Amino acid sequence: MKSGEKDVIIEARDLCYSYEEGGERALNYVNLKIERGRKVAFMGANGSGKSTFFLCCNGIFRPESGTLLFDGRPVEYTKQGLLDLRRRVGIVFQDPDNQLFLASVYQEISFGPMNLGMREEDVKREVEQVIEKLEITPFRERPAHALSGGQKKQVSIADVLVMHPEVVILDEPAAALDAKHAKIVREIVDKMAAEGITVLMATHNIDYALEWADEIVLMQEGRVLLQGDPVTVCRNQEALQMANQEPPAVLTLYKKLVEKGVLKQEGNVPRSLAQLGRYIDEQEQG
Amino acid sequence: MIAADKLCYRSKLRYVNAGEKFWFSVLTMLFLILSRSLSMAVLVLLVNGLLTVKNGGIGLGSYLRLLSVPLVFLILSTLAVVVNVSKVPLDAYAVPVGAFYITGSRESLLFGMQLIGTAMASVSCLYFLSLHTTMTDILGVLEGLHCPRLLTELMLLIYRFIFVLMDTASAILISQKARLGHRNFKTSIRSFGWMGAGLLMKAFQRSNALYDAMESRCYAGSIRVLREQRSVKPGEVGAIVCFELLLLGMTIGRKL
Repeated sequence: MKSGEKDVIIEARDLCYSYEEGGERALNYVNLKIERGRKVAFMGANGSGKSTFFLCCNGIFRPESGTLLFDGRPVEYTKQGLLDLRRRVGIVFQDPDNQLFLASVYQEISFGPMNLGMREEDVKREVEQVIEKLEITPFRERPAHALSGGQKKQVSIADVLVMHPEVVILDEPAAALDAKHAKIVREIVDKMAAEGITVLMATHNIDYALEWADEIVLMQEGRVLLQGDPVTVCRNQEALQMANQEPPAVLTLYKKLVEKGVLKQEGNVPRSLAQLGRYIDEQEQG
Repeated sequence: MIAADKLCYRSKLRYVNAGEKFWFSVLTMLFLILSRSLSMAVLVLLVNGLLTVKNGGIGLGSYLRLLSVPLVFLILSTLAVVVNVSKVPLDAYAVPVGAFYITGSRESLLFGMQLIGTAMASVSCLYFLSLHTTMTDILGVLEGLHCPRLLTELMLLIYRFIFVLMDTASAILISQKARLGHRNFKTSIRSFGWMGAGLLMKAFQRSNALYDAMESRCYAGSIRVLREQRSVKPGEVGAIVCFELLLLGMTIGRKL
């Protein structure tokens, strides 16, 4: 890698995929680059191709045309190539009941590393570590069907993290969770990002995307409508509308405050209500 | 089944080595069936009851309720052995009804008692296993016994997804009731049919989604997971061996 060149971990070139042969394309010439270590939010209407793209990134779906590059090399759809890709890219599915298939939490988490052919002692150590790290210990002895939605989500994230992936994909991780569990999940996500894992997350929560992400990808009808830094994307009313999104509350409020002359437009645009609050405090004092 | 499942996660004997519990139940049941001895049945019933209620911490009430479920079936089926209709009165009892007697012999009465006793004691053995051992642990024992992987993997998936299926079914039922789908017998029948169809579709969708999820974690055709082993305690093994030897002695004594 030359200096100044970006370290791209996932790149899609003209990626196309349809669920039925000759049917409507779920992915229609998707082109995008994702840099290593970034936090990327994927937004778009239901059925805009986010989940399909995610399953391509993990090699579950093989694109009918176009190329997917992982770490600079095209993905090989051989047994070994797929195994390698799936080890390095983990998916946390939206509905944990589709992902957790073992009655015991411990066994569930051990499934991935056992498939990688690790030695049992190593698997045991890894599983214990991740149970500790994600604070699963209080319910590790409970059967999967007796776990709450948030706990199931924690276990499904542990399932993936235990394999030490370089990229973690989360499909609407906070959907259907109460505020407390959504916060726990977000803290876990922040922890992985801090460890240098590239995180791709589908979400419908634009306020959260603006605050959290390094980059937002807007998708519409199987293609990438817009990719860019969160503030730029969130200010693009037209694109947001096309992707069935409302602008974030904080930007609307900030715009109004500036218009009314309450706030002076200086420095960065606030990305969360807390940040906007600090701006107001600062301007009042100074 | 669901009751047993809930209880076994609370049982104080849950963390006892599953192999010990498995062999205790299976051997005891074997001797019961071999000997058909009423005294052994009473002994086993007492021991299992004591273990379940006292050591396992399962309430006497709920244990008895569980035992009463098969009891009804047993009594009904034993009636056929104990009660005869005959023109001649037999030695145990005889109730004249017109030209006939409802009657039974001492021998058949004893046989009936043995049947009920042995069956109830065997049931208590199975309960001992299922009330104190989680399905996951039982599967571990079966795998240790080299039970075909296909069977154990099926059991494992069925056990997990029975609960998902029931959740889905109850959600469908509620949504049907909310729209008067169970207003009368006719609508109930129809709604029930729709539920079946709906569940089948859901099951297909789920199995596809599950397969994707498993593949994404490098699934390659066989479900390999780590078993949590509970240590074998020599004291417990000793007690089980002594008890089984006692039963063996009783069985041999009876057959001689």
